[in-house]
Amino acid sequence: MKLVISTCADPLSESEFVAPIVKLVGECVVRKCNKVKPEDIAQADSIIITGTALADFVYLKQKWDWLKTFKKPVLGICAGMQVLALAHGGKLVNQERIGVHPVTVIEPNPFCEGDFSAYFLHTKGVEGLDVLATSDNKPVMVKVKGKEQYGCLFHPEVLNEEIIKRFVA
Amino acid sequence: MNVGVLFSGGKDSMLALLRAREEHKIACLITLVSLNKESFMFHTPNIDVTTLQAEALKLPLVRVVTKGEKEHELKDLKAALEQAKRKYKLQGIVTGAVRSTYQATRIQQICHELNLWCFSPLWLLDQIELLNEVLKRKMKVIISGVFAEPLDKSYLGKQIDKALIAKLAKAAATHKINPAGEGGEIETTVLDMQLFKKPIVVKKSSTVYENFAGTFTIHGAGAK
Repeated sequence: MKLVISTCADPLSESEFVAPIVKLVGECVVRKCNKVKPEDIAQADSIIITGTALADFVYLKQKWDWLKTFKKPVLGICAGMQVLALAHGGKLVNQERIGVHPVTVIEPNPFCEGDFSAYFLHTKGVEGLDVLATSDNKPVMVKVKGKEQYGCLFHPEVLNEEIIKRFVA
Repeated sequence: MNVGVLFSGGKDSMLALLRAREEHKIACLITLVSLNKESFMFHTPNIDVTTLQAEALKLPLVRVVTKGEKEHELKDLKAALEQAKRKYKLQGIVTGAVRSTYQATRIQQICHELNLWCFSPLWLLDQIELLNEVLKRKMKVIISGVFAEPLDKSYLGKQIDKALIAKLAKAAATHKINPAGEGGEIETTVLDMQLFKKPIVVKKSSTVYENFAGTFTIHGAGAK
């Protein structure tokens, strides 16, 4: 079962940040991050953690400890990448980026290669995870050491759908 | 929360309004009237109809005129949102953005600077799904502008119905245009929908068309 976890505190944000992901993933189970049950995690073959509105930080109050022991693939998008970092000993740093910016891949990875443009919408960047791609020398794609857990600080559902398609393939 | 809807009077801002009211209180509409016909942000052929639409919806309208010069229109947008935020105690803004990262980036940036939530409930919605939602919501929407081949004069003033959606889908397949006009291929005007107290009736209009670009301009309209 593919699980999509919404970080959106406001239901109106879900049509913007969750629905486009679900459309790309296909058949899946969707849960709000404050409603995820241990059995949802246990049954998941892969998990995508979505982004949310720029003004929304409620997801930071949820418990994300299960990421430490989860052994299957995870893709964290924007807010999802931030919680990956927090769960694995990384930290958040103030870093505002809104709009389309260039991305450079610096480490081979299963999802993308070369240079491309991506749509960003965040005010917090991350530090402390293995860096796969940068934008303006800041980490924007990361991997958790020893796990199949990846983060995208940009929103691949906007201009880089293939990243999500490759993750769920 | 109290939200204001960035409102052009077309199908996208009206659908965004309908989705937003399912979760929040619509406190006002906000319309930027651009004097620049080439504006990427705000130009729509029948922007003055927003006054009648606001009356039909019984919602206050914050209407700000902008010269539509590239950087100034963003300052005018920020001023309009700031004014609406103060007057109607807004906590969020709703937009009808579907695909344009140009528009989304600028609106998100301004909302962030004003400490407002930004909602784009149609974001990345499939264009045909969007057109079908117009029918599902029983909206009366006409085409008020065409700006791409093969959209000819016959589209102008036409109401969006099943047959027109099929025609737009066919045009999208043969000419790689966005069938709902997200790339600026068409502009629309909403004349009636479920929340209108009375429908808007076009009393006088004119059509200008040349070489796959034209407008259906409403000169006189009123509530029925």
